[in-house]
Amino acid sequence: MSYLEIRNASVGFGPESNRANVLKGINLSVEKNEFVAIIGFSGSGKSTLMSLLAGLETPDSGSVYLNGKEVTQPSPERGIMFQNYSLLPWLTVYENIELAVRKVFTGYSKAQVKDHVLKYIEMVNLLPAVEKKPHELSGGMRQRVSLARTLSMKPDVLLLDEPLSALDALTRSNIQDEIIRIWEEDKRTVVMITNDVDEALLMADRIIPLTMGPDATLDTPFEVPLERPRDRATLNANMRYRQLRTDIASFLIEMNEESKRLRSKTVLKMPDVTPRDFTIATSTALREFDEEDAFQLEEEEKAG
Amino acid sequence: MSEKTPEKIKYSILRFLDVTGFTVFDPLVRLAFREEPRKQVESLVKFLIIPIIFIAACTGLWWVVAPNHKTKSGEVPTPDIVISSALINDTFSNREKTKESDFLLQGEDRLESLKEVEHLMAERATELEFLEAHLAEQESIYKTRTESLISPIEAQLNALKEKNRAARTGRSSEIDTLSLQVASGERPYEALVRAIREDGELYAMGRGEESVFKDQIEAIRSDKYKPLEDARLAVNAVADEIQFLKKRQGFLSESNRSVKLEQTKEKLVAQDGKLSNAEDAKAVLREAKAFVKLEDGIGRLETQQYASAMTVYLQIKRSIFTVFVGFLMAAAIAIPIGILCGLNKIAMACLTPIISIFKPVSPVVWLLIFQIIVGAFFPDPESHPFFLFFDSIPFINTLGINPSLIFSACTVAMCAVWPALVNTALGVASIDKDHLNVARVLRLNFWDRLTKIIIPSSLPLVFTGLRISLGVEWMVLIAAEALSSSDGLGKFVWDEYQNGSSFSFANIIYACFVVGLIGFLLDRMMIVLQRFVSFDGSETAV
Repeated sequence: MSYLEIRNASVGFGPESNRANVLKGINLSVEKNEFVAIIGFSGSGKSTLMSLLAGLETPDSGSVYLNGKEVTQPSPERGIMFQNYSLLPWLTVYENIELAVRKVFTGYSKAQVKDHVLKYIEMVNLLPAVEKKPHELSGGMRQRVSLARTLSMKPDVLLLDEPLSALDALTRSNIQDEIIRIWEEDKRTVVMITNDVDEALLMADRIIPLTMGPDATLDTPFEVPLERPRDRATLNANMRYRQLRTDIASFLIEMNEESKRLRSKTVLKMPDVTPRDFTIATSTALREFDEEDAFQLEEEEKAG
Repeated sequence: MSEKTPEKIKYSILRFLDVTGFTVFDPLVRLAFREEPRKQVESLVKFLIIPIIFIAACTGLWWVVAPNHKTKSGEVPTPDIVISSALINDTFSNREKTKESDFLLQGEDRLESLKEVEHLMAERATELEFLEAHLAEQESIYKTRTESLISPIEAQLNALKEKNRAARTGRSSEIDTLSLQVASGERPYEALVRAIREDGELYAMGRGEESVFKDQIEAIRSDKYKPLEDARLAVNAVADEIQFLKKRQGFLSESNRSVKLEQTKEKLVAQDGKLSNAEDAKAVLREAKAFVKLEDGIGRLETQQYASAMTVYLQIKRSIFTVFVGFLMAAAIAIPIGILCGLNKIAMACLTPIISIFKPVSPVVWLLIFQIIVGAFFPDPESHPFFLFFDSIPFINTLGINPSLIFSACTVAMCAVWPALVNTALGVASIDKDHLNVARVLRLNFWDRLTKIIIPSSLPLVFTGLRISLGVEWMVLIAAEALSSSDGLGKFVWDEYQNGSSFSFANIIYACFVVGLIGFLLDRMMIVLQRFVSFDGSETAV
């Protein structure tokens, strides 16, 4: 049994008679200290999958296990970093992290708590903003506070829900580096959700695509056997990297096409209407023309 | 550093203006620190000077329009009269304070003050004499003037009256002969009817002519003669002051606490002698009883306070105190129930009908209900343990807690509880789901979730509700006090309406401004509090 496991989990919405499954038949196993990236299109149920891992949602069927124990409720041991920061706006940066630290490390003395909080604030380079409130910070800074809060709980599993989606490209690469640096210093099991192939390749050991919803499920994983530390600058020249990138991209594009085709099933095909030629003014000719047109339409529908 | 200090001062002033909601004065501060003078002057003109001109124009309009409307309580007062009524109220209050301090003075200070007061009284008495002479003079001038104006008109009127009376007697004798003729069948009765009708019309016409002159005379009589009015006011003012000085003299001499105390002590000594000299049992008992009575009297006198008349400032204090009692009651009910409703949908469903039905009920109805209920609780307020308890606490006993305070406060609280409750429930119910997820991940217990997540997150809306509540309370309170005659600004207004002195109407308008100003300050106070608890740095609507 792996360290973190999802076994045949499904999540849906709506009444029993007319249930729409967001996730269906999800199977996932993550080894200890592995960095897994889950990649998928927006709306495919990635955040639901994350809530499932965090224990914020329980699956309708199937189950989630951590270290052999079933997950039934959220806990600080699975530190989740929410997509939209979720910092408490009435607390300062320090207090936001302090709240988490106090809850997780109940035995700490005041000085220990302070040291611990400051250590993580320093880790994300936010010492100058310790006494600031979230609304006084930029998006990237808030993201870093959120990261520091999650890390400060020293979770066994780090769940990153599109942690960098709201950031500009420059800040994004900064925080990517920061996450990798912290992960390499202090190995943890990480599950990260992203929609960026480059990001996934740069950071993860394994990339698992999530198919398009509804009934989204996890597809065959791509192993990323690239050497660490991976350097953003030289990576582009790496053949394996390029190969993987092309593979994943084409897989995603294909999935997208497929889903489009699936969706087009429900769209009625419009008749191919051409303006009437009034030079052929006889009524019989007109009728023949109409019949021919209708026959053509039928043929096309069969083919489609 | 020397460069930075003025900047620091500037920004702290600007911050203060921002928090208190007086951003209108921003440009004034910036101008004082020479920041973009052109721009500041422009916004000063736009947002400060033009509004001031507008207000001045409104006041001017008031000034012009008011005297044209005559009412039962005299003319509608102009702003200057309202200001002078404010000053009169102020003087009255100051005099009450002086009397109080006189009452409590003792020893050398008392004698000195007494001398001073007596000196002042003598001064004022000569002044009064002079002013009275002046008044008599003015009165005679006025009399001769009006007489000279009235007498020709009166002569005309009398002549007219005489003429009309003669004409009437002529007509009635004519009618008498006519009726004899009709009775004997000499003339048809139509002529008689015509004559009677004619007589009536001519009589009415004559009265009409007379009333023109009467009105003229009336107008001359009611026309105010300015020097006379001034002289009368001056006399009144000095007479008033003499009255006040007499009262002071009383409080500095025989009505003074220390004097009364000393007198009673002397009596006690005498009584002591009487008691020891008493011979038979009956006499001993009588003297001993008198002795006890005197001793009790001393005990009472030692703690006796001056019984001040209700000045407008005391009424204001009372109203503000009542409003805060009501506010605390409303908050104490609304916040916990609001949180409960926000957290629990069943509680919300249970309370929604109650809120919906009672929210629109008029404060007057609540006042009556609470007056009856509170009255039933305290049939004898003087000796009820509830009030005795408050009377025994040092500071609280000066606030005058009585049943009328309780039911006024209950009424206000009842009307104000709804906005606070609804807003609190809304604030709690609309808490961000992400924040609750944080609480779940951290496995906060109920108490921590309440104090660390739910309450801070709903605080801005709670304060919005409390702010609305306080505004409602202040409005309701004045009406409740007026209706129930419990002490406060409402009673002040009601008393003025009832007693109808020359300054009553002005006093009511003065009270209107006082109520408005205090309401405004209370609202500003809530805005400041709201700013302190709002965490997103957004501005509060003014």
